[in-house]
Amino acid sequence: MAYRLETPREGGGLSGTRQVNFDPVVRVAGALALHTTIDHDRGEVVDASVLGTLFRGYETILQGRDARDAIFIASRICGVCGSSHAATAANAIEMAFDIQAPPMAVAARNLLLATECLYSHAHHLFVLAGPDYSEPVVKATNPELWARAEGTLARGVATHGYERISDIMTGLTRVSGELYAEALYMTRIAREGYVIIGGKYPHPQTTVPGGISSLIDTSDMNIYMLRVVKFFDYGRKVAAVWDDIIDFFYEANPRYREVGARAPNLIDNGHFDDPWAYDALYENASRWGEARWATPGAVVDGRLVTTDLQRLHGGTEEFVDHSFYENWSGGGASGDTSLSANHAWNKETIPAPGSPSSSKYSWCTAARWDRHAMEGGGYARLWITSVANKSPHRMFCEPTGSGMRFSIPQASLPATELEWRVPQSWGALERNRANAYSLVHTALISYDLVLMCLDLLRKGEGRISTEFRIPKDSREGMGLGGSPRGLVNHHMTMDKGQIESYQVVTHSTFSASPRDGSGQPGPIEQAVIGTPLLSAPGDESYIDVLRAVRSFDPCMPCATQ
Amino acid sequence: MAHNSSAGRSNGAIALPERAPNRIAPDENVHVFWLNGMGCEGCSISFAGASNPAMEQFQWGTLPGIPKVILHHPMFSEHSGDAFTEPYRQAAAGRLGAPYIVVLDGSVPDDEALPSAEGYFSAMGAGGISSHTGSDRPDRVTEWLYRLAPGALATMAMGTCASWGGIPAAAGNITGSMSLMDFLGGNYRSSWNIPVINVPGCAPVGDNFTETLAGLLHWAAGIGPPPEFDELGRPAWQFGETVHRHCPKAGYYEEGVFAEAPGDNMCLVEIGCWGPVVQCNIVERGAVNHMGGCMVAGGACIGCTMPGFPDKYAPFHKPPPGSAISGGISKVYGGAIRRLRRMSMKTGNREPLWDNADEVPSAWAGAVGPRSGTDRFAAYFYKKLQYNGTVHHGNRYKKQPLPKSRDILTQKGIDHTQSVDVLRERSLPREEI
Ligand code: SF4
Ligand code: SF4
Repeated sequence: MAYRLETPREGGGLSGTRQVNFDPVVRVAGALALHTTIDHDRGEVVDASVLGTLFRGYETILQGRDARDAIFIASRICGVCGSSHAATAANAIEMAFDIQAPPMAVAARNLLLATECLYSHAHHLFVLAGPDYSEPVVKATNPELWARAEGTLARGVATHGYERISDIMTGLTRVSGELYAEALYMTRIAREGYVIIGGKYPHPQTTVPGGISSLIDTSDMNIYMLRVVKFFDYGRKVAAVWDDIIDFFYEANPRYREVGARAPNLIDNGHFDDPWAYDALYENASRWGEARWATPGAVVDGRLVTTDLQRLHGGTEEFVDHSFYENWSGGGASGDTSLSANHAWNKETIPAPGSPSSSKYSWCTAARWDRHAMEGGGYARLWITSVANKSPHRMFCEPTGSGMRFSIPQASLPATELEWRVPQSWGALERNRANAYSLVHTALISYDLVLMCLDLLRKGEGRISTEFRIPKDSREGMGLGGSPRGLVNHHMTMDKGQIESYQVVTHSTFSASPRDGSGQPGPIEQAVIGTPLLSAPGDESYIDVLRAVRSFDPCMPCATQ
Repeated sequence: MAHNSSAGRSNGAIALPERAPNRIAPDENVHVFWLNGMGCEGCSISFAGASNPAMEQFQWGTLPGIPKVILHHPMFSEHSGDAFTEPYRQAAAGRLGAPYIVVLDGSVPDDEALPSAEGYFSAMGAGGISSHTGSDRPDRVTEWLYRLAPGALATMAMGTCASWGGIPAAAGNITGSMSLMDFLGGNYRSSWNIPVINVPGCAPVGDNFTETLAGLLHWAAGIGPPPEFDELGRPAWQFGETVHRHCPKAGYYEEGVFAEAPGDNMCLVEIGCWGPVVQCNIVERGAVNHMGGCMVAGGACIGCTMPGFPDKYAPFHKPPPGSAISGGISKVYGGAIRRLRRMSMKTGNREPLWDNADEVPSAWAGAVGPRSGTDRFAAYFYKKLQYNGTVHHGNRYKKQPLPKSRDILTQKGIDHTQSVDVLRERSLPREEI
């Protein structure tokens, strides 16, 4: 196992096999460490372990609280996507209370969720992952690539304004680069819109049981729209920048397709409920799931195997063989005998803090679907929605079965069509590319949602909350939602208005998971194992290993709660 | 911003000296060592969302009079692993050779009390902090804290978890979490003799933090005045008032008009707002770039900046007990005030010219016509009071002749009545203000 720690010795020759640990891996969301065994003679990583190094115990803290409070407490699970946890908790409460948020509330929640994607994708692409492809990094790790970049014209110059690939790389430089600074600026623009309805970010103050606590009026939509349309031009620019960078790396060395490569095993709940299809009833989840603007689904080995939300949920299990928890007795908190004893809803959280020298090495559980190691992310959502080709709502985004066509309206740049296609290979660079196109996708969805809110205002359907009574009997509710980084599942059982159990599984509980009971590594582990070392001999930063990890856009507060 | 009120003065908090005990030279950099404890990354996201000043401005060194910041941050730094932790290690060993500030987001787990020396709830790095031994032992965030804090220029708690424990320290927690002040103890002083600085909020307003950091550095450079902190180490100018005082809905409260359901535009106290007893500036400053803020958007305050958060404000969505009294009083008193104000608005909503002509030329509303006798009567007394002892503009305007080109379209015989009929077809019921 690779979780024995050993520091690379200074000046040591880079040959043979040695253990290298990256603790912490910076520029990801949250506390993540990576331990690897690197074989320098073979020039690749031969073993890897991902460690989630933080546990706060939200599931336990939620127990015994007023069920209504789940929203404001659970939101704090993650400060990178608080909106998603707030909305998912609201869905769980509404299912348990048997109430339904009115169309304006569903549309407004969708809008908040979509805006959260705008900020988050920009943050991932330029603040977290982007610097890995920047001038100082490329110069230090692959001087020959820098020389090549200086001589390579950028195809997207008309869209992004950078003449050469080296100019883009300079722009990607951490702190001083133009693209870095612009991304920070754009994340703030997205948040400005967000707080008009959400009140604050990352933890919105207006997501409440039965709706949204915000009066949406013409000014709100005006302010929102002005910010969303900035992402039309920006989205095109981001897609063009990443297309250029990725094509450059592939052309320089086709083996960059192997960095972070693994079989495409992807999972997502879909996103953006149709306000008229969603009824907060579990028995109808398959139907309203497929009516989402982004389609739920699972892709195994590159093949779409289901778009059924109930099947996605039913096949989700958690294992703690290599996680800092004790096995629960089974029998199941959910009381649902059709679910496996390892189903996430049957889990109890029994922490056992230990050290990574035992066989347990992470605070993250091993979430699996149908026993497969699945990855979740904005890119998974784009892929699944594209190939499922079921999205009923196609105002600006048209799934084609093999990709997604975007019709971007005119802003400062003229109106244009853009297309993302399911890639031939699946690795770090394709994850980043798909996230770049996800930015375009969610910009268009945000705009669409602004138009929907305006339409509801026009029809006088501005009502945004629902009255409810707290049920006095015992109830169960779940939220099968999404965040910029992928699926977010909350499951709550309650009695007399109080929470009895609360369980959370997210995209990163899948992506950043350790090995499961059968020894199957988690997705990031799989992607790092086999990643070739393509940097100059002597590069001790192992940049391609880090590129692989960051392409997943993992979020550890979501993963380990 | 107003902070000269009775609540704005802290009662007996120590003040930093007018001149800093040391001084950062103009060409000297200040290192900021950021640590993530039991947090959600929301504080780092807030930090990146700040714009007054912005994170990158510190790093660029483009804030005049404020030393350039070398930021060591798990979410923003360049290098991973040992290359990242090495400067932390140097600082902990007193070998950094430059002034530094420690910032913690997230609360502090009771890791030092865990039975296993290698167990942890929150760790960063491995191999030993004081000497890099290459052992398996994870470096607990608690150890980073107690080794780094004493030598720091200042130690700052970013957000409610670090400031007061927050949700990870709430009832039912199994990690023994606490605040940075609880962990370091009441006697803690930095090497510049400053107790822990707390910038609370869950998540905090990013600008509150960057502004405090900027103020601190400005003072440390020997230029700015000492930032003022209250008795709990909060920036006094930011947390010296209740959020209710600046709330855009405070006028509703005064007039006794309350929201019954989320989405109503009135004061939110009856759907669970704690604003009248919570120290926070989000509605005044805005959440991001002066925009948003909880009640600005319509969300009730749950006290997320306060040491009692969350348990002392939960269950949420329930009116605070005190509101039954103060809200009840304001319904009676505010109701009367509101009626008087509406009366005066009736005259204020009329041009003096309309009074003279005794008609309102608006096609928007069929109902606006000549004034009723009561309205005239009320207006008469109102003006008497208003102009008493000074110029009576009401009487002056009465002598003003009506402009001759009023209603020009009728005078010229241009047909324009179609559009008026269209408007009348659909009239919207409007609630009284
Ligand atoms: S909404 Fe809250 S803070 Fe605003 S006026 Fe009402 S009670 Fe005060
Ligand atoms: S108004 Fe209340 S809930 Fe909002 S940020 Fe301030 S303290 Fe927190």
